Amino acid sequence: MNRIYDSVEPRVIDDDMLKLAVGEQGPQEEAGQLAKQEGILFKDVLSLQLDFQNILRIDNLWQFENLQKLQLDNNIIERIEGLENLTQLVWLDLSFNNIKVIEGLDTLVNLEDLSLFNNRISKIDSLDALVKLQVLSLGNNQIDNMMNIIYLRQFKCLRTLSLSGNPITQAEDYRMFIYAHLPDLVYLDFRRIDDHMANLAEMKYQYTIDELKHREHLRQTKLEEEEAQQMKLEEHKMAFVEHLNGSFLFDSMYAEDVEGSKLSCLPIVGELLETYKDKFVIICLNIFEYGLKQHEKRKLELDTFNECVQEAIKENQEQGKLRIARFEEKHLLSVSAIREESELLNIEKRIVECGEDITELFNVLMTLEMQLVEQLEETINMFERNITDMVGTFIENVQSLILSCRDLENHHHEKLLEISISTLEKIIKGELDEELPDDVRTLFVDKDTIINAVGASHDIHLLQIDNREDELVTRINSWCTHLVDKIHKDEVMRNRKRVKEINQYIDHMQSELDNLECGDMD
Amino acid sequence: MEVLKEKVEEEEAAEREDAAEWAERMEKMRPAEVQKEETILTQEMLRDLEKKILEIEIPTPTDPPVVTEDTIDISNLPLSYKTNTPKEEHLLQVANNFSRQYSHLCPDRVPLFLHPLNECEVPKFVSTTLRPTLMPYPDLYNWDGCANFVSDFLTRVPLPDPLKPPLHLYSSTTVLKQQKGNCFDFSMLLCSMLLGAGYDAYCVNGYGSQDLCNMDLTREVCPLTVKPKERVRKIQKVQPKKYTIKPPRDLTSRFEQEQEVKRQEEAKAQEEKLRWEEEERLLEAEKAKPDPLHGLRVHCWVLVLSGKREVPEGFFIDPFTGRSYSTQDDHFLGIESLWNHRNYWVNMQDCWNCCKDLVFDLGDPVRWEYMLLGTDTSQLSLAEEEDEGLNDDDDVQDLGKKTEDKSFDMPSSWVKQIEISPEAFKTRCPNGKKVLQYRRAQLEKWAPYLNSNGLVCRLTTYEDLECTKILEIKEWYQNREDTLELKHINNCTGLHTDYFRPGHPQALWVHTYKSMQPENDRVMEFYETARVDGLIKREETPKTMTEYYKGRPDFLSYRHINFGPRVKKLTVTSTESNPRPMVKITERFSRNPAKPADEDVAERVFLIAEERIQLRYHCRDDHITASKSEFLRRSEVDNKGNKIIMTSDMCISFEVEPMEHTKKLLYQYETMMHLKNEEKLSKHQAWESELEVLEILKLREEEEEAHMLSISIYDTKRNKRSKEHREAMERVMHEEHLRQVEAQLDYLAPFLAQLPPGEKLTRMQAVRLKEECLSDFKQRLIDKANLIQARFEKENQELQKKQQWYQENQVTLTPEDEDLYLSYCSQAMFRIHILEQRLNRHKELAPLKYLALEEKLCKDPRLAEFLKVPA
Repeated sequence: MNRIYDSVEPRVIDDDMLKLAVGEQGPQEEAGQLAKQEGILFKDVLSLQLDFQNILRIDNLWQFENLQKLQLDNNIIERIEGLENLTQLVWLDLSFNNIKVIEGLDTLVNLEDLSLFNNRISKIDSLDALVKLQVLSLGNNQIDNMMNIIYLRQFKCLRTLSLSGNPITQAEDYRMFIYAHLPDLVYLDFRRIDDHMANLAEMKYQYTIDELKHREHLRQTKLEEEEAQQMKLEEHKMAFVEHLNGSFLFDSMYAEDVEGSKLSCLPIVGELLETYKDKFVIICLNIFEYGLKQHEKRKLELDTFNECVQEAIKENQEQGKLRIARFEEKHLLSVSAIREESELLNIEKRIVECGEDITELFNVLMTLEMQLVEQLEETINMFERNITDMVGTFIENVQSLILSCRDLENHHHEKLLEISISTLEKIIKGELDEELPDDVRTLFVDKDTIINAVGASHDIHLLQIDNREDELVTRINSWCTHLVDKIHKDEVMRNRKRVKEINQYIDHMQSELDNLECGDMD
Repeated sequence: MEVLKEKVEEEEAAEREDAAEWAERMEKMRPAEVQKEETILTQEMLRDLEKKILEIEIPTPTDPPVVTEDTIDISNLPLSYKTNTPKEEHLLQVANNFSRQYSHLCPDRVPLFLHPLNECEVPKFVSTTLRPTLMPYPDLYNWDGCANFVSDFLTRVPLPDPLKPPLHLYSSTTVLKQQKGNCFDFSMLLCSMLLGAGYDAYCVNGYGSQDLCNMDLTREVCPLTVKPKERVRKIQKVQPKKYTIKPPRDLTSRFEQEQEVKRQEEAKAQEEKLRWEEEERLLEAEKAKPDPLHGLRVHCWVLVLSGKREVPEGFFIDPFTGRSYSTQDDHFLGIESLWNHRNYWVNMQDCWNCCKDLVFDLGDPVRWEYMLLGTDTSQLSLAEEEDEGLNDDDDVQDLGKKTEDKSFDMPSSWVKQIEISPEAFKTRCPNGKKVLQYRRAQLEKWAPYLNSNGLVCRLTTYEDLECTKILEIKEWYQNREDTLELKHINNCTGLHTDYFRPGHPQALWVHTYKSMQPENDRVMEFYETARVDGLIKREETPKTMTEYYKGRPDFLSYRHINFGPRVKKLTVTSTESNPRPMVKITERFSRNPAKPADEDVAERVFLIAEERIQLRYHCRDDHITASKSEFLRRSEVDNKGNKIIMTSDMCISFEVEPMEHTKKLLYQYETMMHLKNEEKLSKHQAWESELEVLEILKLREEEEEAHMLSISIYDTKRNKRSKEHREAMERVMHEEHLRQVEAQLDYLAPFLAQLPPGEKLTRMQAVRLKEECLSDFKQRLIDKANLIQARFEKENQELQKKQQWYQENQVTLTPEDEDLYLSYCSQAMFRIHILEQRLNRHKELAPLKYLALEEKLCKDPRLAEFLKVPA
């Protein structure tokens, strides 16, 4: 594009170039001197200008974490790359380059202004991440498909768009089409959109727009539904009773059970299975409801606990703040008194007094903190006891319910065995009326085979139930331990932080006082 | 009536027997006081006492504004005022009969107040004097509005004899016209209004305390001075939650605490006792002297009973003050009778304990003897059936109403409809002014727009009972252009407080000051939403200024400025003001949630004199200490002579969580530069604040002087502009009308008048008429031309004379004379010029006018037929 620079060799962004640019564009005059003294860290730079540098490849920009404005216009860049780390970027100028495809912008979620003017782009794409996009400049490119505009409908903040110099602008109804399809747009090709024209366009494309809207709406509702479902499942998982509000467990019992399903086509077994399933599902539902209820209870308990702890900490903090404020008031007075005092003896006396004050403050604050620690310790222990008890009862009750599931399974197993054996006998006697499928018939060869088959099915069922039970128990136990651990850990962290804070403050005060002393001694 | 009398005679014998019993009963009906004092006195002693009491001279007011007949113009009153209808006559007879029997049966009780004379000396029954009227003003729909209006509107006139009901009872219309009356007039008017508004109201004739009868409020606390009791908020005891932490163990001695509490309580009790004694003493001093006529003073007031208009229980209204009292109040000492527009009841209950034991169940004939039967029995108690049974053998029944025609009901009122004009309603008090004396307070009221400064009410509170030492003055204003609402002057502290309604040009709300001089103690509060800068309050002392803000986008909430002593300028450049130097500016900011706490400044102090800037940041949510930093702004030069831009000791900071970038000199330098700018801005703003104070003070002074009153555009009476506009419109209309009349002027009329009337015109006559008319017109035109010519010549001559005089005396003339001459010349020239123009115009128009008239005459219907023929 920039023929003037053809003679110059294409370049890649490197450290020297960056340093030079940062130095040139950094603070000037007095501040500049300071900056030179200290050097500027790349991560402190907010804005960077790298135009007319004949850059071919973007690179080495990963250090500019806080960069907000980046200008790379009038280079010979061919690919958008190396911008992944610049997540704070708001303003990006890539105009007058040789870019063919929009790419590599997926992490720039804060981008508001994007200029790709005068490039070789033929399709608007890969901009999904830029939810805050307000200004998009795509003039002098090769966009030729009008339908591509619809892609821009998803940017709710987009107000300014420029597409001049693209093949699509040759189309007869180019403006009307854009007015109609991007109703929130205010400026198109550097001109304000006339309300009247916008209305006309809307009327013209009413049908297509309505259809679009309808489709978008459908998609939206579907997404929402899925989300809601996901949320519900998540909630059930939190209660450790997911998938128990239906026949899921029962179905899974039979999913891996080949023999069982084969046997189910025996006469009477179908009926038996039906009643068995009903009973089983009822128990599952019981577990589910109980689980949800217990979950609510635990949540309430946890909320109360958190609230109380927060209140206690808050109050303690307030007290601490009050003490500090009182101390500071006094301290300020005494420091100014020391400054004005001329008698050396008095100064020393006052400084000693000040030091005592600081020590006293330290003691008071530490006492407060220790007191809080003790109080919280007690409360946390109480909570731990309660929550463990709760979990224990929950597990017990669930186990008893699952036991009844097992009983049902055993019962069913016995019945099935009975039926199978009688069927076998019938088959052996040749009294069976109905025809059995071949694969089922192969089971009824002798008694051992059939007993094995039924037993295997039973085992699988029991295993499934056991698995579910184990899963539930382990998960809730681990949740409980995690919770308690976290509470303890948080408390310890809080304590350490507070003690550190107090120490830091006291040290600062002390050193200030020492400085004062030294200053006076001089 | 005849029948009645016969009946009565028949029953008289029986009655006589009962009379003794009656008398006994009636003994008890005496007004409270006599009974109370001497229950064991004999009849004679009582009479003695009564004599004595009567001998006591009643202090009559110095100038009793007693209404005399000649002040009332009775000639314009309607007929119903001057005569009685047959029905009214009948009623009067019934009343007389009732009264006779009553006095016969209860000889000890005072005669009933039944039919006093009205302004035309015609006896009228009291119930017919009531005229229920609903007033067309929303303010007069509720009882308190009515009562206040009556108490404000009328001036009290004492009863001619404070121990007897008056002989005359005027109609409410007359009372309203005169704007004065006694307690009976007050009550009748108020009762009429209340009845009209739907209340169950009654006029009560009874006995009141001295204060009540004389409208003496000096022992009452002014209702305006009573501070509304602060509602004690119940602090809800928070239920301790399950995991609420246990409080730390209390290690102090409980015994010591108890002892301490005991000691404090004792001291408190002691203090309480002292105070109580003091109060007692004061009360004693304030107490009125015992009234020798206690219980004998006649008063009239209004009783409102429950049942209608959602009145929960009956109460009294004193018409003089418009206040409501409970029926158990000490001021009301006894009731003789009461009436409304339908009936009349006599109290048969004992009044030894004032009105405290009275039962206002008017349907109970044992307690309340009614005069007319069956008119108004809505008050019958639930035990009506039982009463009926009892009544049969009750003496009360024998008063002869049973025999009376049951369908007889009260004639309609003879009084014309009560009307209050809007002006009178607005003016309220007579002459728009009223003064009330309360205990240690004086209340003055004025009608709106009466005072040119908008003053409508003034309450003066005194320290002592004699009202000599003023404690504080409160003045209420209305309709002021500057929206001043209330002015409060406290004499003890010397503080003036002005309250403004919303709408002041500077959004002022409250202004407290000692003097209007700037740089003094003052507090200004503002309507914060009305101000762009969100200022709520600005406090000033001679050395400081404190401003409070709310809802600013930069989160500034407080600014405190310390001023130093003014530097005396040597050069006298008085055009520029000499502001006091600022020593210290303290600014506080509320938390900006968009910034992290460590970067959000909570307080910044510019120590301008020391060139120091202190910053204190907000405290993080989970921290108890906040970051601080201090900048020294001294610009120094290092030993090589280079200017030191920034060194690390120019910025001392404490950081809760030390951060990398804040250590950098560049960062510190930038912060300091920014703060320098901010300091300049703050200084500028402080300076602007000072200017604003000056401006407000100036504005206030101007407003105080001008005290313009705003007039609603709907107020057609007071709004001068609209009035002028309306008058101009009317004038235009009038002129238009005149012009139209002129257009129809008849030219021929004077000439036609010469001819004998009624005769038909002949041709000759017509022609002569025309010629005469034309010649007359011609003569007029010529006269006019001559007149103009004459004036023109006269002016010319005078001018020439003057010019001559000027030329002769030109040398000796003073400059003033010369000026006079010149101005005269120019004026004379102007006049001459105008006359010349008029003459020319006249010459031009005269022939045209002449022709126009001729044409008009030719077309005149009266002459046309004769004139067109020769053609």
